[in-house]
Amino acid sequence: MEQPVQTQMWKAQTLEELVQILHHLFAGDKVNVAEVQALMDSYDSNPLEWMQYAKFDQYRYTRNLVDQGNGKFNLMILCWGEGHGSSIHDHTDSHCFMKVLQGNLKETLFEWPNKKGIGEMMKKSERVLRENQCAYINDSIGLHRVENTSHTECAVSLHLYSPPFETCSTFDQRTGHKQKVRMTFYSQFGERTPCATAVLQENN
Amino acid sequence: ITLIDRSQPRGCTLACIHLDGGLAADLASRRSAETRRLVLSQRRLPGPLPPGLARWFPALEVLDVSGTGLAALGSELLSLPRLHTLLAKNNRLGGPGSLPKGLAEAPLLGRSLRVLNLSGNRFAELPAALLGLRGLQSLSLGSNRLHSIPPEIQELRSLEFLYLGGNFITSIPPELASLPSLSYLVLCDNKIQSVPPQLAQLHSLRSLSLHNNLLTYLPREILNLVHLEELSLRGNPLVVRFVRDLTYNPPSLQELAGRTIKSRNVSYTPGDLPGNLLRYLHLASNCPNPKCGGVYFDSCVRQIKFVDFCGKYRLPLMHYLCSPECSSPCSSASQSSTSQSESDSEDEAIVAAHRMQKVLLG
Repeated sequence: MEQPVQTQMWKAQTLEELVQILHHLFAGDKVNVAEVQALMDSYDSNPLEWMQYAKFDQYRYTRNLVDQGNGKFNLMILCWGEGHGSSIHDHTDSHCFMKVLQGNLKETLFEWPNKKGIGEMMKKSERVLRENQCAYINDSIGLHRVENTSHTECAVSLHLYSPPFETCSTFDQRTGHKQKVRMTFYSQFGERTPCATAVLQENN
Repeated sequence: ITLIDRSQPRGCTLACIHLDGGLAADLASRRSAETRRLVLSQRRLPGPLPPGLARWFPALEVLDVSGTGLAALGSELLSLPRLHTLLAKNNRLGGPGSLPKGLAEAPLLGRSLRVLNLSGNRFAELPAALLGLRGLQSLSLGSNRLHSIPPEIQELRSLEFLYLGGNFITSIPPELASLPSLSYLVLCDNKIQSVPPQLAQLHSLRSLSLHNNLLTYLPREILNLVHLEELSLRGNPLVVRFVRDLTYNPPSLQELAGRTIKSRNVSYTPGDLPGNLLRYLHLASNCPNPKCGGVYFDSCVRQIKFVDFCGKYRLPLMHYLCSPECSSPCSSASQSSTSQSESDSEDEAIVAAHRMQKVLLG
């Protein structure tokens, strides 16, 4: 399938439509990042469409699988309670799109630590993503930490990763030391899927 | 938007209703003996909640008045016999009389209330009215103006979830550790400088949030929290270099006598000693050096050691040792007490005896 010459502007009226168009955009081998980002931007968050996936956990943020994209991508909804945040992490050579569906999320970008992994990691920039805003990152851009800094409101975000990945590395901000972690789903397709493993999940 | 829940015994349907006229008249017109959830959030209420609330909705279990601009919650709540969840975030509560007098003593509400969310208000101290709520399981006072946590917090015996992030709290009272069921403790975004070692008594603690505070080290007792699964420490000025306390004051004669009594198990009875010395002997702390087995009272060496925690962190933990010759069991080469053996990471400097640095306690 030929790559279109111009970036097409898609509009997803519903979450279901978003998924359908994503299947179309990822049918080939190449990803047009601008097109996917525009599509994600275009969807106006409607809680009634995604609330079945939005399962919160008291202790930490959750990852809730929505669609597996025929193996080409994972689409998931992350639910962040008050004060919940992630470690600094990479994206295992994949594209990562993140769209805020409710609330606000702070994204802090970091440089990769130097090879020895010694010393405080360097912050590149930070920003607050508001409802319906969509961010993009991949390993060549850098690493990031995502957090809900609100003490009164929850946050919900829609994430798309392509190709899908199950492990990533998390980084200690003070030392740059990294550790591989396995990522798990709190729920899949709206069903709670408890994780059997006792392995420590990524922390911060 | 005002939503009134027309509950069936199971499940609920939410309807958006535009209410005209006064709030009291609106609510009274919708009185129901079955309504379990009342959500009045995100609408500016013209005044306090009407006194008739309990009469109109006697089955109410959940009341959400978040974002309504309320400056006070009054006695209209006290006669709600089944209310277990009260959400009043983002209002103007905090002044005197924000919460109804006799809240904890209220025969019905005082026992039924399990979840209370007062985040995003203006409380400068934890309201005393709450302290008697012995059935309260979840309390949130995030984003208020608290400067401290009262020791009376230990009266909330059923508390499992305590959210105090985003305040101005400078220290944690050891009494907090008396809460037997506490499993989630959030203290992020405060001004906390130290963590009392007693916190290690919170055996049920699963998640501890301490990020964005002023911590330079943690007490070594934190290692005792075996059920801890989540620990956030980022945004603290944690010391990264191995340091040893320069100011070791040699023990006093009283201390030496006390140490001898304890370590040799010299027996004594309350009649043998004046009360102040009995109390003194009671305060002996055990030296963590397994080869020492001694005790200390006031004279001790403070030493920061880095300990691998959860397989992920190198945490600076404060150890109290009875003498400079002692070494704690946490170091990887704990047999020798020379300074070389105690630095075991590439990011820690080896501190030679003649270049001891003062402990940076912030």
